[in-house]
Amino acid sequence: MDRVARKSRRNRRRLWAHLPLAIVAVATIIPFYVMIVLSLRKGRSLSLPDALLPFHVNFGAYADVLAHAQVVRWMLNTAAYSVISVVLVLVFASFAAYAFAKKRFFGRNAMFWTLLATLMVPYHLTLIPQFILISKMDGLDTLWGLIVPTLANTQALFLMRQFIMGIPDELIEAARIDGAGEIRLFWQIVLPQTKPILATLGVFVFLWHWNDFLWPLVATRSPDHYVLTVGLNSLQAQDSSLTVTMAGAVLTFLPILLVYVLLQRYFVRGVTMSGLK
Amino acid sequence: MTTQTAPRTEPAAGRPARPSRWSRMRRSGSGMALLFVAPYLLLFLVFRILPTLAGMALSLAKYQITGILEWRGLDNFQRLFTDDLFWNALRVTAVYTVIAVPLTLVVALAMAQLSARSIRGIRVYRALYFLPVITSLVTSGVIWQWLYAEHGPLNGLFGLLGIGPVPWLSSGAAVLPSLSLLSVWTRFGYDMLILLAGLLAIPQEYSEAAMLDGASAWQRFWHITLPQLKPAMFFVVILEIVQSFQVFDVIYVMTGGGPVRSSYSLVFFVYDQGFHYFDFGYASAAGVVLFAITLIVSLVQRRLFRED
Repeated sequence: MDRVARKSRRNRRRLWAHLPLAIVAVATIIPFYVMIVLSLRKGRSLSLPDALLPFHVNFGAYADVLAHAQVVRWMLNTAAYSVISVVLVLVFASFAAYAFAKKRFFGRNAMFWTLLATLMVPYHLTLIPQFILISKMDGLDTLWGLIVPTLANTQALFLMRQFIMGIPDELIEAARIDGAGEIRLFWQIVLPQTKPILATLGVFVFLWHWNDFLWPLVATRSPDHYVLTVGLNSLQAQDSSLTVTMAGAVLTFLPILLVYVLLQRYFVRGVTMSGLK
Repeated sequence: MTTQTAPRTEPAAGRPARPSRWSRMRRSGSGMALLFVAPYLLLFLVFRILPTLAGMALSLAKYQITGILEWRGLDNFQRLFTDDLFWNALRVTAVYTVIAVPLTLVVALAMAQLSARSIRGIRVYRALYFLPVITSLVTSGVIWQWLYAEHGPLNGLFGLLGIGPVPWLSSGAAVLPSLSLLSVWTRFGYDMLILLAGLLAIPQEYSEAAMLDGASAWQRFWHITLPQLKPAMFFVVILEIVQSFQVFDVIYVMTGGGPVRSSYSLVFFVYDQGFHYFDFGYASAAGVVLFAITLIVSLVQRRLFRED
């Protein structure tokens, strides 16, 4: 078989490979399409197939949902919950990860095994005591009450530790001999090396918090303190019109989509790292 | 954890015979290290260890919202095991897991296999498959509730094919398969990425050698790819089962456990008992059962996957 023929056969085969890939891609996208088209369908018939054809765009539902007194608050609450949590999770996890990776101290292994073991405990067992604890501390319906219980993120600690263990000891020793204090050593030698993992974890922790539902559901009472997921659920439970609920769904999804489009490779890295550690 | 003692072979000349405990600790940075771990550890103790222990303790008590705690021994468990609602929750969760997990894994594995080739635009496909993963389950629930509505698009499509309206979420028989389908949509992209990373790490030579020996594509997949993929599969299977056992968000948003409790899952039971009836002890007992199941599942799987 000559090379040209083989090549063209391979090309045809490659073309065929697109078919199942494309079918699944379309099936994956359809719910998003439905969400967007419905959100633009304000004041029109919702009977099929008219409801799903992309004509007669009307942003009225977005105006309505944004005029809903609390939606903007929910966005701010969600942003605060996510951003503050990301920063604090990364700070605490990287501090601890550095010690676990590069230092010997009393009880290190025992602590580490305890951390590992608690990964097996379902979050739902701790939910009620956590709720009681936060309510005793008068933290229900407050931003700090929402954030603080989520800060001891063990996965983040493990991945950070794994990464810091890869930093050569010589680098740290050299800086120490040059007279760097512990804090400076951490801040100027270790931390800059961990930028890739910080970015990856940052993106993931942001995702978890932005999409978190159960804890905000029990830890907030008044609609003023809801986050978007809880708010969106209440919108739909209140029987707001379908188009307004869908506009709310789009607004909840949009920031995550933006982060995803900009930082896609960090998402991919985060998934593969957690799978293959 | 063992504190370093100076080895005897260390040249002792010109040095004090044995450094004091304090200076040894300073040299190994033990004090400083504890400072680095302290903030994390404090949060971990208060918001993870304490609630875990408290959850177990609560399962042995009756705790009223007024703050009165009465020890009840194993009463809560006794009540659980005679409670039809609890058995129903267990059954719902198990059925959901049995449908959703294999379905998701098959789709994920097929798509990983398909998208492991380097064809044009493959990155775009992978990026699209991952979109549902980053979507919150509440958003997904809101969308899919309408997809599944009586006069929604899915029934519209089925109507064109002459299939009468399917009661996706409104019949007890259909609700768990419907939720499983949604779970495939939300989860296969994540599993696919992990399996894909596993696939791409398999050396090409094995497959090529087998091809020269005349092995069919199916034989190569079964005898070469799958065994090599075992660690990634192990991770994904555990993850999927654990996640399925913890299904909550979409149920809360879409069905509220209905119709007639046919989607009333284990975590929904915990939530309902805890935050609807404020029966904290009883809810915690169900939480302990969830913990036990999680533990057993991962121990069994560890054993199964280790055997060669």
